[in-house]
Amino acid sequence: MRRYLAPAVWLAFVAACALIISRTPFTADMSAFLPRSPTPTQQILVEQLRDGVVSRLILVGITDLPQAQLAELSKDLAGRLRRNAEFTAVNNGEQADLQKDFDFLWRNRYLLSEAVTPQRFSADGLRASLTHYLDLLGTPLSALAQRVLPNDPSGELTYLLDQFEGQAKPDRQHDVWFSRDGQRAMLLAHTRSPGSDIDAQERAMHAVEAAFEQARRARPELAPARLQMTGPGVFSVQSRASIRDDAWRLSLIATLLVATLLLVLYRSPRVLALGLFPVASGALAGVAAVSLGFGSVHGITLAFGVTLIGECVDYAIYLFTRITPDTTPQRTLQRIWPTLRLGVLTSICGFAAMLFSGFTGLAQLGLFSIAGLITAAATTRWVLPQLLPAGFFVRSDTRFSAALMHAVRFAPRLRVPVLLTVLAAALFLTLRPGSIWNDSLASMSPVSKEMQQLDGQLRRDLGAPDVRYLIVAGGADQQSVLQQSEALTAILRRQVQQGLLENFDAPTLYFPSRQAQQARLAALPDAAVLRQNMQTALTGLPFRSGLFEPFAQDVAQARQQVPLDPAALRGTGLGLKLDSFLIRRASGWAVMLPLTGVKDPQALVDAINIDAPAPVLLLDMKQESERMFRDYRREATRYAGLGALAIVLLLLASLRTPRRVALVCLPLLAAVTVLSAALVLSGLTLSLFHLIGLLLVVAVGSNYALFFARASESEQEETRTMTSLIFANLCTVCGFGLLSLSQSPVLVAIGSTVSAGTVLSLIFSAALIARKSL
Amino acid sequence: MRLIVLAMMLFAACSACAEGETAAPEARWDVARLMQRLAQVQHAQGQFVEKKYLRILNKPLESSGTLIYQAPGHLEKHTRAPKIESLVLDKSTLLIDSKASGKRRLTLQDYPLLWALIEGIRSTLAGDVATLNRFYQIKLDGDISRWRLILIPTDAKALELVREIRISGREDRVSEIETLETTGDRSVMSVTEDRVETP
Repeated sequence: MRRYLAPAVWLAFVAACALIISRTPFTADMSAFLPRSPTPTQQILVEQLRDGVVSRLILVGITDLPQAQLAELSKDLAGRLRRNAEFTAVNNGEQADLQKDFDFLWRNRYLLSEAVTPQRFSADGLRASLTHYLDLLGTPLSALAQRVLPNDPSGELTYLLDQFEGQAKPDRQHDVWFSRDGQRAMLLAHTRSPGSDIDAQERAMHAVEAAFEQARRARPELAPARLQMTGPGVFSVQSRASIRDDAWRLSLIATLLVATLLLVLYRSPRVLALGLFPVASGALAGVAAVSLGFGSVHGITLAFGVTLIGECVDYAIYLFTRITPDTTPQRTLQRIWPTLRLGVLTSICGFAAMLFSGFTGLAQLGLFSIAGLITAAATTRWVLPQLLPAGFFVRSDTRFSAALMHAVRFAPRLRVPVLLTVLAAALFLTLRPGSIWNDSLASMSPVSKEMQQLDGQLRRDLGAPDVRYLIVAGGADQQSVLQQSEALTAILRRQVQQGLLENFDAPTLYFPSRQAQQARLAALPDAAVLRQNMQTALTGLPFRSGLFEPFAQDVAQARQQVPLDPAALRGTGLGLKLDSFLIRRASGWAVMLPLTGVKDPQALVDAINIDAPAPVLLLDMKQESERMFRDYRREATRYAGLGALAIVLLLLASLRTPRRVALVCLPLLAAVTVLSAALVLSGLTLSLFHLIGLLLVVAVGSNYALFFARASESEQEETRTMTSLIFANLCTVCGFGLLSLSQSPVLVAIGSTVSAGTVLSLIFSAALIARKSL
Repeated sequence: MRLIVLAMMLFAACSACAEGETAAPEARWDVARLMQRLAQVQHAQGQFVEKKYLRILNKPLESSGTLIYQAPGHLEKHTRAPKIESLVLDKSTLLIDSKASGKRRLTLQDYPLLWALIEGIRSTLAGDVATLNRFYQIKLDGDISRWRLILIPTDAKALELVREIRISGREDRVSEIETLETTGDRSVMSVTEDRVETP
């Protein structure tokens, strides 16, 4: 019965892991990239990227038809989407979009216009405005001036509209937005769900596609139209889909390849299945451990964790290929266990450093791989030998063995060329100007270059320049941040005049605080005074008498108004703008003022803070996000370095002499150096994903080096060791090499790094580790 | 004062004009003949006096200045009195420079109604019957020595604003442009040619 104790414990363990996983929440948002103790600006940045209005935008382009038909399609599509509950707003430049905003501004002009002061409604103030109108009546704008004049002789509407004057607007043709070249009709859809809710974003995308199909099919001449979509949510959906599809498709092919390979080797389907036990139980244990340790598991951890423990597939190979006809699995295992154990410990050292990372994503990956490797090694050690069929051993082909051993004996002759190559690579990397690392958001983006370019094109065409600088002010409640925004508006106006920046936007330009609204109501004179002032103002001007009766009525009506609250803006374009810049946060509220044309950011924020009622933050979206990813990558590099140090110490403790440690480390160092140089030479700059790949090369390669460095008892054992290594490497190359065929830049980076790196590790181990000749 | 966005909002209501409106030129050989004559003028310059009769004012607004036309599509209007103002129209761009509205550049396509108004005058000067037909139904009175074109907008939105434009002239010269608005407002611009023609 003892024989079944280990498998029984193992089964119970696997069941427990599965139970934990079934209750685990999985996340897929930006939180993995958020440091555990973020700075206030980082916190805001991540909130914005995750839930902000910007994250909810879908940019839509329609092409491949004549303009008039594109415009028709744009209107039809927008109409369909406006009726869909997934979207809070759909803009395509149509009059209807503007009309709501226009009506809102017109109805509430005396509350919203900052120009409303007692002076403006005095006889002098009104006369100045009327004289101005008179001049305007001579210009081409006469018809418009006449329309608003009887109701608005003080010019509040024009003042309000003036606030939008400086803002870029998309081109319009046939009453809808078009790209600058007139080839593409443009729409903007705002999703109800935040960008981080990928499932909801996917529903929204499908809704756009379905509506487009219906609109396109409505008339035969619209059939050639094509739809383009970009935006943060679209990118998340596409990259998830491409990683998922590629991962599925490529892993399926890889599994088939590896399985075929191993079936040829083992000649037993049962053994083949057993070989998957370590990696499968390792993955389960990894997820369960992260779930217990962090409360939730991030998608990134899941995707890369499984690749990180990919070396566990090798464990079974090492065991199975070593079994000879005259030894039991247990005996074989006892013989290879010291080396295997050291290999596992080496990998654990490499990954353990990540556990202490300040970034949740890295820490989760660290925990995942440690739990996974330990479980996989334990499964190999205690479960597999019990379950192997009696009398199992791998029959090796003699010609294959002979060829393999010939190659292995030849390898040391390559020592000098290899060392020269490594030296050249090291020189290249150190002497090369500039960093080999790329920390831009684009390099981290899981989206293809073409999609990034399309996105940039659509954004330019929509006249929505990338907002880089934001002034952020916080407060306890909505009204207090609105008041801060008003104070900041006054300061920023002065700075625009001083030339410190070109322009800015503030929510209070079109939605003032309650306090300001009350002050404006108080500035409106009563009916008698207004009539008197108007009469004085009109003296000598040619306006027909009685013309301004509507003005008197509107002002009297405005005096009865109560201050508006933000809910009044719901359903208008202004409301969306307000929502994007006036934000409810976990504690209190924040207001954001986008700036354009900033010359010296630091000088600007210093100047603001001299006059501001409370200190403000300047958020540089570009710099802040790049800094965050650079910190992330730097920390990963630092921990990888610490991990390397730990590996050396571990090897020293285990192998005892520095010479033997150097012997094991040299091939790995050589592989990493040559591979990095090759990647940089091929025109790439390295991203975090290459770093993860390199870590993996060290983890897998260290096993090769250790087996090489270990003296064999017999020639037969030597052959079996080499066979196991070559098959382990073949499996790795199959698996990871296929990943590099993926559409996703992330999978390509990891796939190519690992497959090339492990091959180099194996060759360099053979070349550089002198074996006692037999 | 900046009325541009307002202008855009109001004008935007009129989608870019009914295309393919028909008024076959062959059927109106006289219009075609007139247009042919006008199309031959390369350059013209004159003094204008414009009177605007607006309901909201109890006396007309009067202004005067210089008009310059250069074939095929360049038109300038420089007002000297009572306020200095200049309008320069080139292809689809209108540059306005006046104290009241500031300096600004408009793209006509963004302001369909303004475009219609302007094209009524410019296309007549250029003898561009195709463009004129896009915006207006054309009638012609009189004979070559004293003719009058009546342009009636074809677009419903444009009709809400402008009832008709009457352009009078003699041979290949325009002498008066009268715009009648739907509201009853009207403006009359009389032009006296400077006979200093450069071919």
